[in-house]
Amino acid sequence: MVPRVLPIRYAGRAGALFKLALKTGLFTLLTLGFYRFWARTRLRRYYWSAIRPGGIPLEYVGDPIEKLLGFLVAVVFMAFYIGVVNLILMYFSFALFQGNGIAYVLSFLGLAPIIFFAQYRARRYILARTRWRGIRFGLEPGAGGYVWRSIVHYVVAILSVGLSWPLTTLWLEKYRVNRTYYGDLQFVQGGKRTLLFGAMRHIYYALGLSAVAGGMLALSENPAWAALFLLTVPWAIYGWAYWRAESFKRMTETKELGEIRFRTKPRPGRIIGIYLLGGLVLNLVLYGVLILAVVLVILALGGTGGFDFDPEQIAQLGTAATPAFVAIYFLGFVMIGAATQALFTLPMTRHFAEVTQVIDPSALNRIQQRDRDEFAEAEGFADALDVGAAI
Amino acid sequence: MSSDVENTRETTRESYDGFADYVAGKRAVLARVGLTVSGVGLVVHLPDGRQEIWPWDDLRALKDQADREGVVIYRSGAQLARLFVADAALANAIKTRATALARRTRPVPLAKLAGWATAAVASVAVIIFVLVPLMASQLAEFLPAEGEKALGDATLEQIRVALDETGLGSGVNTCQTPQGRAALDEIYARIAPEIDLPYPVEIHVFDHELVNAFALPGGHVVLFRGLIDTAQTPDEVAAVLAHEIGHVVHRDPTRDALRSAGSLGVLGLLFGDFAGGTVALMLANQLVNASYSQAAETRADEFAHGVLEAANVTPSALGSFFKRMQDENGDVEGFAAHLSSHPQFAKRIAAAASAADRAHQYDPVLSKAQWRGLQRICGGSSHDVSGDEGDMSESAPVDNPRPNRSERPARNQEGKVK
Repeated sequence: MVPRVLPIRYAGRAGALFKLALKTGLFTLLTLGFYRFWARTRLRRYYWSAIRPGGIPLEYVGDPIEKLLGFLVAVVFMAFYIGVVNLILMYFSFALFQGNGIAYVLSFLGLAPIIFFAQYRARRYILARTRWRGIRFGLEPGAGGYVWRSIVHYVVAILSVGLSWPLTTLWLEKYRVNRTYYGDLQFVQGGKRTLLFGAMRHIYYALGLSAVAGGMLALSENPAWAALFLLTVPWAIYGWAYWRAESFKRMTETKELGEIRFRTKPRPGRIIGIYLLGGLVLNLVLYGVLILAVVLVILALGGTGGFDFDPEQIAQLGTAATPAFVAIYFLGFVMIGAATQALFTLPMTRHFAEVTQVIDPSALNRIQQRDRDEFAEAEGFADALDVGAAI
Repeated sequence: MSSDVENTRETTRESYDGFADYVAGKRAVLARVGLTVSGVGLVVHLPDGRQEIWPWDDLRALKDQADREGVVIYRSGAQLARLFVADAALANAIKTRATALARRTRPVPLAKLAGWATAAVASVAVIIFVLVPLMASQLAEFLPAEGEKALGDATLEQIRVALDETGLGSGVNTCQTPQGRAALDEIYARIAPEIDLPYPVEIHVFDHELVNAFALPGGHVVLFRGLIDTAQTPDEVAAVLAHEIGHVVHRDPTRDALRSAGSLGVLGLLFGDFAGGTVALMLANQLVNASYSQAAETRADEFAHGVLEAANVTPSALGSFFKRMQDENGDVEGFAAHLSSHPQFAKRIAAAASAADRAHQYDPVLSKAQWRGLQRICGGSSHDVSGDEGDMSESAPVDNPRPNRSERPARNQEGKVK
């Protein structure tokens, strides 16, 4: 019989992904950014195929040409908005406020509806181009409703200084998930309004303690309070990792797909570990390369004429080496981008995938295919604004 | 694994080359199928007993897969059905026989792509070259003086920091020895146009070797030490200063700053944020601005001729300065001319020469002592050598009044001539 639990295996490898990200990053650089549609598609294929529920990989069927086309469509409309709105905002920020800062804030506010719109459309495109066992996922149209709800929920979150963020997260997740399909079966996001507050608790504790310690420090100047205040920093970091793990767990375990349920147990310690280890490796490599470069330069100078630095010669060297520095700058940029994928994004997806299970998958057999969502503009708006998915 | 699949496997195991998971793309059901490698193609033995032959030329494989050992196969005609071959040996057998695994299955919609690309380029061009300049021009007239001043102050600070080569982030030094300042004030007092500006003209000297000068919104005029070093007479400095004041009077910097705000945003949209994106953006924006500035340059030249003549300083000084630039660098032709936002030198030299009255005796704008004071405005005397600095070959002077957000300006890009 079919097992009642379907584990998710993960086949991604940091080395292979690093090579792919580096290669596509370089192409993007050499094509002044136009390869980015291919780059993103190829990376998605990799990430999707690495996740294998029951041994069968997810498939990303998005087409770079389709993405390019969608981007061009979006540019036709967005260029007007961006050009004219930027200019007018700049004018008003200086005419009325004499400062640049306000212009950025206003500019962001003007963009917020389009950003939410683009995010929902991008999600719809990505789900429409994701398959598992040959069956398509899908997201109902509903970007308009998502825009105003997002704005309202974000305003509430900002007014509450972020304390109501768990509610914002759940509300928006419900809007998205309740419109998500796998084949002909609709997902349901369950959970009461209070569902996620517990997941935020370590951040609340850290904030509360820092408020108390900060207040007492201002009153008494006792160094013990300062120590306590410092202690809240690692606590807040743990709180953040706990939130990532626990909110994922709570939302995943209240998702329903017909009779199918999900079980997951991500670990905050693992999340912190991934970031610590990744950060360590990244810094070691960066500083290693830097030190190596300095040593090589010193050796080269020492080889040509000892260490009597002639300023004129150095200036000439500097001018001659400028293209090299520019190349190194961009190479470094691409390298760090690829390393970030390999050291952070991949291990995180690996962890979240491996701890998750599909319960009662026998119900899967009744799920039927859904129609293709043609979607002319793909995720063009998200590409134009650079606000799509992280990958 | 359902039991009937197990049976199929038991009864016919000998005849298969291997097995794979198969989905038809109709229901989320996985079937275990036997595969046989034949001459014409891959034979798929379906659970219901049917056989399908997938010709080698029709086989396609999913690309960029995380699992490097197996392969996921589909047919070019049927977009939904998939074969998940996990066994490395079988996967290799398929890979060696199927020659078109990587080929595209859907045709590239070239006509559609070309259509939208044209529309996108046209839309961006109309906005950058027509709409944004038009609006910037109009809005610049209405921007209150305080707004212009704030814009200029912010931009001046950004440029100072951007030009700093020490990397300390404190910005390039502003030169102001008392004698130097006094000489500048003297020049300004003589050529000061009798035009009502809502803000005073502020003259700054940057301690930087570029031969350059520019004006910013709100009455800021910046001269570079390199320019003062290159000038042979104080009249030439005065002429350049008069030209910049011409820009201030016509509010060219304000117009340009507003334009940049609009067009940089649009170009950012186009290029995306690859590798920080700044270099391509700055270069593109430079191209965009070149066509705009030529008319403004000619107007500022004419303004300079006027005020110099009125102050009894020879207008040909502007020409003689450009002449030297030309002798040293050659005319700025082709791509470089397009990048430099100034009409070509030859034309400007001729215009300056014809503005001067040859029969008339002009006065120098400064005394010899004052001129020495100006040459040492950055302190020390090591810099008052002109002409043969290494950078000169690259720096064709151009105005650069637009807000420069680039963190690391490339030298040849910002060697602008005024």
